[in-house]
Amino acid sequence: MSSSNRQTILIVDDSEMNRSILVDMLEGEYEMLEAGDGLQAVGLLQNHSTEIALMLLDIVMPNMDGFGVLEVMNRRHWIESVPVVMISAESNTSRIDQAYEMGITDFISRPFDAQIVHRRVKNTLLLYAKQKDLEALVAEQIYEKQQSSALMVDILSHIVEFRNGESGLHVLHVRTLTELLLRRLVQKTDQYHISKDNIAAMSMASALHDIGKISIDEKILNKPGKLTAEEFAVMKTHSLIGAQMLESLNMYHAEKVVKMAYDICRWHHERYDGRGYPDGLKGDEIPISAQTVALADVYDALTSKRVYKPPFTHEKAVEMIVNGECGTFNPLLLSCLEDISGDIAREMEPKEFEGPSQAELSDMIQNLSQHKELSASSRTLQLLEHERMKYSFFAAMSKEVQFEYTILPSMVSLNSWGAKWLGVDEIIMEPFENKNLMGLLDEQDWQTIMEMLEDTSPEHPYVTYECRLRHNDKWRWFRFIMQTVWEGEEPPQMTGCIGKAVDIHDMRTNLESLERMASYDGLTDLLNLNSARKQIEARMKAHPDSNYALAFFDLDHFKDANNTYGHAFGNHVLAHVAELLRQNVRGMDIAARVGGDEFIIFLEYQQELEAVIRRIYRSISGGDFQGFTVSMSMGVATTEMVEPVFTDLLKAADQALYAVKQSGRGRFQFYDGTLQSLKPTRGNYADQSLSPIESKEDGKAES
Amino acid sequence: MTLQELYTEIGGDYSEVRGRLPSDKFIQKFVLKFLDDKSYDLLISSLEQGNSEEAFRAAHTIKGMCQNLGFNTLLASSAELTEALRSGLTPEAGPLCERVKEDYGRTVTAIRSFQEGMST
Repeated sequence: MSSSNRQTILIVDDSEMNRSILVDMLEGEYEMLEAGDGLQAVGLLQNHSTEIALMLLDIVMPNMDGFGVLEVMNRRHWIESVPVVMISAESNTSRIDQAYEMGITDFISRPFDAQIVHRRVKNTLLLYAKQKDLEALVAEQIYEKQQSSALMVDILSHIVEFRNGESGLHVLHVRTLTELLLRRLVQKTDQYHISKDNIAAMSMASALHDIGKISIDEKILNKPGKLTAEEFAVMKTHSLIGAQMLESLNMYHAEKVVKMAYDICRWHHERYDGRGYPDGLKGDEIPISAQTVALADVYDALTSKRVYKPPFTHEKAVEMIVNGECGTFNPLLLSCLEDISGDIAREMEPKEFEGPSQAELSDMIQNLSQHKELSASSRTLQLLEHERMKYSFFAAMSKEVQFEYTILPSMVSLNSWGAKWLGVDEIIMEPFENKNLMGLLDEQDWQTIMEMLEDTSPEHPYVTYECRLRHNDKWRWFRFIMQTVWEGEEPPQMTGCIGKAVDIHDMRTNLESLERMASYDGLTDLLNLNSARKQIEARMKAHPDSNYALAFFDLDHFKDANNTYGHAFGNHVLAHVAELLRQNVRGMDIAARVGGDEFIIFLEYQQELEAVIRRIYRSISGGDFQGFTVSMSMGVATTEMVEPVFTDLLKAADQALYAVKQSGRGRFQFYDGTLQSLKPTRGNYADQSLSPIESKEDGKAES
Repeated sequence: MTLQELYTEIGGDYSEVRGRLPSDKFIQKFVLKFLDDKSYDLLISSLEQGNSEEAFRAAHTIKGMCQNLGFNTLLASSAELTEALRSGLTPEAGPLCERVKEDYGRTVTAIRSFQEGMST
């Protein structure tokens, strides 16, 4: 046997010696995984849940004890696929009960006995292997035969039987006998107009004859002794209740099987002489289907063992029925019974029929009834495992940190790539206490994320958040995409969230440099007009009560510089002016190149604006740059004179500048509200503030 | 010294152990392994630091090992100590710990001389 075929057992015990003893006892037959405490066990389960065939679990352990492990296994539904055998010196029965409640399969007490350990492990594995196979079988059967109601009918009727404490064969017997009787009946007479299809449908429907018993109190249903009159009255209601149950299946009224089942449920306790219940129908007022099932029911009751009687032989049973000892029946049916008497014994033998055997079906039902929901078949688990593997591979390739957070128990689990990359554990209990984890983000970001998660709802469970995350002591930008997970109804409870963090650092850095490129003038590295306008508008909006000034200037005789020394020299002049400007404005001020040789300065002031403007003007104007005398003309508009609107300020400053140009250049002037009458606006900045160069150029041509 | 004699020396029922565990070799291996186990040191240091939770787990582990190995004398005292520590430090813990110390010492001494007897 190759080692990969061996089943894997996870041994969880904090004592190394106790683990070794178990390993030594089981070695050779199984693969072994060991965990020294509950936390390690959860980690191994997380990564190997489909491989682990059995877990031996100690109770008293550091970090997380055995009950903690069971709690996690219940929450994550691992307990449904991984059987747990508890090992402990624990003699406290309430603790043992608690462990069974939490889904353990068996208990091994210390001291270990090699034989017992072996036997328990083997039995548990066998039991689970069988159950897994059956689950797979049921899943497959249900899937394949969804269209055929036969299996569902069988399952339904068996559920009733199990509740009834009966063998499970009763339904099958009644069904077989009903079919035999009906076949014989149509050979003898056609007075009931029963087609072949109807025989099949009636036989199938017969399985549901006692479905109403599901509503009868188990105490009455399974009472070993004779029922009291009162109890019998309750018991008798099952036929009508069964019929009502079927009647309430509105959608299926047209189904032949359902219609027949209704007749059978309601009237299978009527008697041919009119002394039955619930309606006291007589003779052929009772549908033939119900008459047949009633006969089959009585026959099987007689030939089966009951608490209060041994089984009668086939011969004896037929004799008793024909002699009228068990009620009165349609004579025609009685003769059918006698006719087929020789066949019955053979037909009733347990036999192979397509699909699961009767015993298997019983097991299935028992398994089904133990599980609240049909747990995933092993094939499904394998598929899931495959998907998980695929996803974690792609996640590692795409450098994604994936995580899952559960509120109860408070736990974060990360994909292995993510955990390794971040330098944290894959499973983190009490994550908010974990310094490593908490150190990954700024405290403010943690808080914002938690608040955003708390604000989600089942309808809007998504949260996206970008923040910096610490990696190797450097901060990188990450985008968190999360979805909260909700369970239950009215109201749904948030149970945690799943999510991933994607590295967007490079993308974001590129974006920032693009933004910068878009905002700044390439030649002078000052803001361009568009960005300056945005910043200025934002500033004025944030503090609308402050006083602002906008200075608009251009260089005098710049055209001459360009013409005399060439454009390259002109560019140097502009860069020089920009540098002077940068040096001489305050940090709060906004300086920008509008275009050509035009610049603006935006500043906030309290008083003495003129002194500030003069200082700036003098720091730039009047100097010499490689033989070119830098001189400028400047117009200044203030929010004391103009509405605090960028375009209005710019227009006013431009008018003041124009006035300076008209009166001989080389100075600055404030817009005082009177200039408008002197000269009409040159450029319409209100509409074309983003392209003032052309309009200005027109003006310059005149000057 | 034989295993049988060792068990008599430290107060254990060898035939009971032999009935449970697969072979003499198996028993011998784990009896010797008992010397390497750190639970006793952990028990003593935890008690010194007043860490009753850790001490409880250590005592519990010793108890479990003694159960498996059939060291009945040490099992009895460590089991009592475990119970005394289950809900924190109780007054009984002190004297019980003294008993565990004594029993542990005797057990370890006996195993060591058994070990020496093997190598000669």
